[in-house]
Amino acid sequence: MGGLNTSLLIGVQALDANQGALQATSNNIANVNTPGYTREVAQFTENGENQAVDEVTGGGVALSGLQSIRDELLNIQIQQQTSQQNSANTQSSSLQQVQTFFTTNGDDIASGLASLSSSLTQLSASPSSSSAQQGAISSGKNLAAAFNTTAQGLSAAQSDADQQVPQTVTQINSLTQQIAQLNSQLGQVPAANDGGTTQDQLDQLVQQLSGLTGISITQNNDGETITTGNGTPLVMGGQSFNLQTTTGTNGFQQVVDSNGNNITSSIQGGTLGGAIDIRDQVIPGFQSQLNTLASQFATAFNSAQAKGFDSNGNVGANFFNLPSNMNSAASGISVALTSPAQVAISSDGSAGSNGNVANLSAALTNTLPSGQSPADAYSSLVFQVGNAASGASTQSTAIGQNLTQLTNQQGAVSAVDINEETTNLMRFQAAFEAASRIVSTVQVLDNAALNMGSSTSF
Amino acid sequence: MRIDPNLVPTILADLQQSQVSLNTALQEVSTGKSVNMPSDNPAAAADMVQNTIDTGDVDQYTQNVSSILSTVQTSSSVLSSVVTSLTQAVSLGTEGANGTNSTVNLQAIAAQVQGILSNVVSDANTSVAGSYLFGGTSTSTPYVADSTSSSGYTYSGNNDSNSVAVGDNLSVNVNVPGSQIFSDPTNNVLGSLSSLVTALKCGTSSDIATATSAVDSALSFVGQQQTVYGNAETQLNSQQTFLQQDTVTLSTQANNLVGVNLATAATDLSQAETDNSAALAAAAKVLPNSLLNYLSSPS
Repeated sequence: MGGLNTSLLIGVQALDANQGALQATSNNIANVNTPGYTREVAQFTENGENQAVDEVTGGGVALSGLQSIRDELLNIQIQQQTSQQNSANTQSSSLQQVQTFFTTNGDDIASGLASLSSSLTQLSASPSSSSAQQGAISSGKNLAAAFNTTAQGLSAAQSDADQQVPQTVTQINSLTQQIAQLNSQLGQVPAANDGGTTQDQLDQLVQQLSGLTGISITQNNDGETITTGNGTPLVMGGQSFNLQTTTGTNGFQQVVDSNGNNITSSIQGGTLGGAIDIRDQVIPGFQSQLNTLASQFATAFNSAQAKGFDSNGNVGANFFNLPSNMNSAASGISVALTSPAQVAISSDGSAGSNGNVANLSAALTNTLPSGQSPADAYSSLVFQVGNAASGASTQSTAIGQNLTQLTNQQGAVSAVDINEETTNLMRFQAAFEAASRIVSTVQVLDNAALNMGSSTSF
Repeated sequence: MRIDPNLVPTILADLQQSQVSLNTALQEVSTGKSVNMPSDNPAAAADMVQNTIDTGDVDQYTQNVSSILSTVQTSSSVLSSVVTSLTQAVSLGTEGANGTNSTVNLQAIAAQVQGILSNVVSDANTSVAGSYLFGGTSTSTPYVADSTSSSGYTYSGNNDSNSVAVGDNLSVNVNVPGSQIFSDPTNNVLGSLSSLVTALKCGTSSDIATATSAVDSALSFVGQQQTVYGNAETQLNSQQTFLQQDTVTLSTQANNLVGVNLATAATDLSQAETDNSAALAAAAKVLPNSLLNYLSSPS
């Protein structure tokens, strides 16, 4: 049979265990707002029984450790969705910037086409009015300026996206280095044990990393192995592999892995993937259509000019100048004519004829070699830009809802609940008080035993 | 099952959502447009490109109609005055041909007809805003005195005419070259007047009668040419009505594409305000709540 000392021991163990649990609870409360913190739960285990000669008594309690409550599968889902959302957000914000250039605001290409069209119509009624001729030149300049502005807007968005590439790569490298360090710390924790706060920090960093680029994670003996979506290693155990950027032949930053391979086109997801997609796919698509429109329209208009005669009786000279490189047609288009008298209004060489105005107007409505009229070609571009912008923002919203759902689930598993911690606080407080009572009771009993048969008390 | 104890992200997301709705509704009401960016409605934004161009064109067509309508009306009234002059010349010719006039009288009549000829030439040289109504597409003065010509005047204009665009597929012929009105080979207005002057000055009664009948046939020829302007005027008036309707159609279309129904927008705005206040009120009620509020502090 166990003596009073056994009870004392059990009491002390209970004090220890509940004190530890109170500490865990305090720590949970303290970290209620810490990002990435997962709540820790005190793990009580009962101690082995005391086997006396003919009796078995309980052996008390021990605090075997603190368990962080986390769901790694949810973390991985959140990381994947974060990658996609950041990619959509990057594209959406870039396209928001781009689409302002395609809004009918008086300075856009649609307004330019409209003003050129109506000034030609005006020339039809007053072919020899120099103010009407000047009007046609000014409208042409406005249209050329609208092409220039739109092309510059696209280039600016493209170069913004390009600047994000090296910045993001620097952030990725900094994160992978920290992750590798934490990985090697975790490698010293026995596999069966919980990584605790180190794991929290690691998960937090990996989630930040997934916001920058799409990653794939595998768990093995060395800790986590992180690669980009296409398999380029970023972290293996305690080692990290830096990405680099170099200026490519197209003048844009290319992403190069640690072996010197250019992996730019295979990067998907995250800010980096979104920026690269915008820079290399989305904007070049718009640019090429805009350049085709500018060059085909200017060519058609110039040949309509050549069909007529200007106010001095000369054959119409080119109205628009195009740069020699068709890839900069929209950014380089300008009005070649310097004097209102050079507009080829006349069809017979006499100054009062308006016979060629119909040809000039027809250049605005006739089908270009692309198969569309200038207005239709531009409408279709507006549709595509608008659709891409609304698509990216819809996608971002949809993923955002999914992500909120997943974060709620993660919160349900891992977040600190103040109410729960408060009840725990009361629970452990009560247990601690009771254990203290065991100690004081044993002390009283000890005194009683020592004073047995004695008339004076100690 | 445990639920997410952290309400803050959800509340913030809700607040943000209601703020977005509020901003959208506010923007719609304040701008009167439901499509402010292509992404608001890509198809409508694309359709607006054509609408913008068409609206500009219709505005300009309308201006063209009113400007050439005045030109056509002026031309028509000039021709009316020519008709009046010619009628006068015919009656003077008839008077001269009746064989009862003295030489002095005939000379006086000839001087009157000469005056009519000058008036007609001046009519033929009418210009509006720097361009000659009857000079074809040329900018030089149509009729200049030329002693070598039988009529005393040469035509320096050309034989072209301008058609002015007043619709996408409609252009109206707005001028008849002077060569077709005043110096037509068979019904030469100036020539016949000039011949009448010569006949009155030194011809027989029968010469005068012949010359008078030539003026008479030129008179009816001018009358025919006048109908060209009359027809153009009718065409322009009906086009003006069409363009007015087209303007309304285009602005209705623009309103349907990107405009906002103000009643709906106002309702949306007030709905968004209500939602936003509700979300804020809920946040204020829920956030400060915890078990701690109900526990007495440890004594």
